[in-house]
Amino acid sequence: MVKLKINSNDYEVQDGLTILDVARSAGLDIPTLCNCDGLPHFSSCMICMVKDKRTGNFLPSCSALARDGMDIDCMSEEVIFLRRKAIELLLSEHRAECEAPCKVVCPGGYDIPLMNRLLSAKDFTGAIKLSIGQLQSSGLICTDCPGYCENACRRKKIDTPVSIRNMQIFISQQIKQENNTLNQYIISFKENKEKSPKRFSSHIGKLDPSELSEWLKECSDDINRVREISDSDSAANESESCMHCDCRAADNCSLRDIAEKFSLKDPRGKLVNSPIQKKININSGLIFENAKCIKCGLCVRLCEDSKNEPSLCFINRGFVSIISEPLTENFNNILKTKTKEVIAICPTGALSMF
Amino acid sequence: MYIEELNQDKPDILINDCTCEQSSQQNITSVVDEVVALTGRDPEKVIIILQEVQKRLNWLPSEALKYICKVTDITPGQISGVSTFYSQFRHLPVGKHTIKICAGTACHVKGSPLISEAFKRVLITDNTNNTSPDNLFSIEEVACLGCCTLAPVVQIDGKTYGHVKPTHADEIIHDFLNSGNRSIKTTESELSQDIDAEIRIGIGSCCVAGGSKEILSEIIDVKERYNLNIRLKPVGCVGVCNQTPLMEIVTKENIHSRYTKVSKPQVEEILLKHIRPRTLNKRIKYNINDLVDTFLSDDKLSGQVNIPVELREKYLNNFLNHQVHIATENSGVLSPESYEEYCLSGGFEALRKCIKDSARESIIRSITDSGLRGRGGAGFSTGKKWGISLHTEGKTKYVVCNGDEGDPGAFMDRMLLESFPFRVIEGMIIAGYATGANEGIFYIRAEYPLAVTRVRLALKLCYDNGVLGNNIYESTFSFDIKIFEGAGAFVCGEETALISSLEGKRGTPHLRPPYPAVKGFRDMPTLVNNVETLSVIPWIIANGAEAFNIIGTEKSKGTKVFALAGKISKGGLIEVPMGTTIREIVENIGNGVADGNTFKAVQIGGPSGGCIPASKADTTIDYEELTKLGAMMGSGGMVVLDNTDCMVDMAKYFLTFTHKQSCGKCTFCRIGTKQMLNIITGLTEGKATLEDIEELEKLCKLVKDGSLCGLGKTSPNPVLTGLLYFREEYEEHTRGICRANKCRDLIRYSVNDNCTGCTKCSQECPVKAIPFKPYEKHEINQLICTKCDNCRIVCPEKAIEIINING
Repeated sequence: MVKLKINSNDYEVQDGLTILDVARSAGLDIPTLCNCDGLPHFSSCMICMVKDKRTGNFLPSCSALARDGMDIDCMSEEVIFLRRKAIELLLSEHRAECEAPCKVVCPGGYDIPLMNRLLSAKDFTGAIKLSIGQLQSSGLICTDCPGYCENACRRKKIDTPVSIRNMQIFISQQIKQENNTLNQYIISFKENKEKSPKRFSSHIGKLDPSELSEWLKECSDDINRVREISDSDSAANESESCMHCDCRAADNCSLRDIAEKFSLKDPRGKLVNSPIQKKININSGLIFENAKCIKCGLCVRLCEDSKNEPSLCFINRGFVSIISEPLTENFNNILKTKTKEVIAICPTGALSMF
Repeated sequence: MYIEELNQDKPDILINDCTCEQSSQQNITSVVDEVVALTGRDPEKVIIILQEVQKRLNWLPSEALKYICKVTDITPGQISGVSTFYSQFRHLPVGKHTIKICAGTACHVKGSPLISEAFKRVLITDNTNNTSPDNLFSIEEVACLGCCTLAPVVQIDGKTYGHVKPTHADEIIHDFLNSGNRSIKTTESELSQDIDAEIRIGIGSCCVAGGSKEILSEIIDVKERYNLNIRLKPVGCVGVCNQTPLMEIVTKENIHSRYTKVSKPQVEEILLKHIRPRTLNKRIKYNINDLVDTFLSDDKLSGQVNIPVELREKYLNNFLNHQVHIATENSGVLSPESYEEYCLSGGFEALRKCIKDSARESIIRSITDSGLRGRGGAGFSTGKKWGISLHTEGKTKYVVCNGDEGDPGAFMDRMLLESFPFRVIEGMIIAGYATGANEGIFYIRAEYPLAVTRVRLALKLCYDNGVLGNNIYESTFSFDIKIFEGAGAFVCGEETALISSLEGKRGTPHLRPPYPAVKGFRDMPTLVNNVETLSVIPWIIANGAEAFNIIGTEKSKGTKVFALAGKISKGGLIEVPMGTTIREIVENIGNGVADGNTFKAVQIGGPSGGCIPASKADTTIDYEELTKLGAMMGSGGMVVLDNTDCMVDMAKYFLTFTHKQSCGKCTFCRIGTKQMLNIITGLTEGKATLEDIEELEKLCKLVKDGSLCGLGKTSPNPVLTGLLYFREEYEEHTRGICRANKCRDLIRYSVNDNCTGCTKCSQECPVKAIPFKPYEKHEINQLICTKCDNCRIVCPEKAIEIINING
């Protein structure tokens, strides 16, 4: 048995437990990003730092074992400060946007990228439901709006912006046609809708033109794009021009949550360790975006590396180290059966599904 | 969704199409098959498999990686992770010859960045590629070649050039291409018992780089020509590395004469001065030559050979007399390749004593009593470490000799391994005996090929003589030693990372405990000791703990080996008692700062250490004293800096190093050092503000507190000591002033009135920034000038000066 103090309270626990184990079973909250029960600990994010007051050393609680005589401090200002800084450092190389520019500037706050994804998947009912859910009391405002969304659209820098406004108007017409059946939805959604507080949002920093074209990987190469959206087919076609520069994990991102919890602002001046890349696995639909990755290695540890099913691995060293498919494999051939699991375990939106 | 023609981008480092014919698929499979037949299929062997394949193919084509995965138990993820982690492995084809430009500390302060640029200018047309268009040369900057006293150093395929200047690039390439077929004689024909003299010639890396092989060949030549009755004896490092090649003649009468910086034409004169030819007609020939010489020249002996003995030896004596040799005992006398000689000088007696009549506990007690602390840097008690290892249960126990000396500016471990391999082996066997281990592993840095060769030979001789293998000295104790060559990662000097590397993984450290002494290699108790630590063990056993304990200070006992280099008159490998002051080392042993400049600081401990200012030079060499000053003992690199060195530039140099060498696992080290580097770079460019300096200071503290392993925790030290002792200089940089005229963005070159219009500068300028104007004062076009320093080097009138842009 081991006797130690955590936040000045005495604990007596069995051998071999980490400080994090002890603290959590005592109901103390220590945030982590790179730790997951059942996987070997790695101590990469350093957000779980605690201080041993006896030695004055800071320790990552996820891998530091509880030892006799320790006097652990896991909530003083000093410890919190170090954690804050760890998150800030991670954010400083997190070149990603939580929200797409179109959504940010939209006076109605419509989730445009999501709608585009639904449209391109030809899920019109889904698109309509989404629109209804977002409608303001005065109804759709796109008709009166000069189209800030299209002005902000990143596609504009490549050719022409996605015809967002017309698509929205087209959807709203669909709503009117089905108004009778959907009326109920409108009312219930409107009632539930509360003004949510402004969330933390990461920014992408300076973009290199070559990086811009990385997003095109998710787009159709149809050069005969039309601005007028007259039917569902043209809506679906145009929606495929959307570059999806938002984050698919915007509402499911531990990094964002933790940044909010520590009331952090996105650091100015992002560090560039390697150009933004998007890799898409055409077999499973897995997308990997290196610039969002925090190198926690959870996805690497989750999958046992094998020849039959090559998984993700770390390559390179130091600041430029990154998660990648093995050099000997094509991204299309990795993680045949584990795609869902790695996406679920990823603390950011670096791994997501097309 | 558009997928058909998706660009499946591979990382930049991969080029799948291999152009060179030698890497054809068939060749790749046969090479890999051959290697795997030697090494086996074990995933643990991944590093050695990659090394061997690269040795044969010169790089690692992705087909080779794929095929290795196919025929071994190595997985794709492992091979990708490992082959990109270690800097030795190349994923791009390289030129036929590799030009390695040393970027170690000593070379850096002597201008290696300019050298690197000069070679690139001469050979390379395309900036994105480091290989010349004719595929003949590739240029590579390497962490440290360990020839610091010859700085700046350039190595082409194992041939080393020292004291290189940027204007030498052409000449060196030319010399290299022409020297290809020159064979060097290194073996002698006969060996007679009764000899007139023994000639000792250093064959450590520095000596070889200084040309000792050519001298050796010349001695053999002269010997045969005059039929001299002498014995040639290659010896390990003497430590006087800046004066290489070094030759010592010991005559029958036991008179020692040492000659430094011997050149080939001098060999004959020196030999004949001390030794008379044997046969009559040779003697006549000699006498006639002698007579002619006397007529032809004022003095037949030229150069330093003619310096009176007292003067010649004074500095050597100064250099050597302040030292105490324990780890380097018998330096310059012992041949590193002779088992018999080591035994004659008392070698393996300590081991015999241990095995014959000492209990394990008592050996460990005497090591503890001696007060020996780990020489790798942190200074943990060696005896305690051994005790932990002995008292941990384990099916197999290991002893690892940590020779992954990665500090730029340090070469002690290389010298010890090259010159005293038997001593380190003996120390290791004793460690094995004392802790109950039966397997030893030498982890030696990839950049030290000579050390690997010497240790390999020594191991073979030890096996042949029964001090390694089964039942050593008829006891029940058996011990085996293997060599593992590192693959180029500084972080692997950290013991947990070293063990990961041994296991064929990426060299990422993990949190201790568990300590390797409890759970290390293959989860077994593993004792990891530094080369220097192991090399003093035999001495302690032979002379007793007390003898070691009385040397040194209260908490730091014994001696410490330092690699003294930088702006010092007499650099080299030195061993001094703990408690010696820095000033004693710099002024007495090193004979002060070179070139009439003033002593500014000493950088101790490499990237983990700090710069100790001249004002604190009376600090003694002691673990605690150095730590108090913000530096640390580190492994023992000691680079002397003078007034032409910029402290901000030094900090930038070390941060660039640690940032590159960080394993990239934990946030603070990976991103924190990058942010620090960005601020420092801003300072050297005159773009940072006082607030940035404050931010830098904050970051230092964060990285120190928050990093996981020693590399990260100590990486801010160069900056912190800089801010502590040289803050003014940092603040000056925010105003765009670099007082040492080192930071290139803050200086410009200009011609003063000394100019005689000799046009040398104009001819040497690689970018034509100086118009050709014979007999007129020249001018430098600042818009074109690349600040390559060539003009200043060639100017015979000291007419080119460096001016601060904002000063």
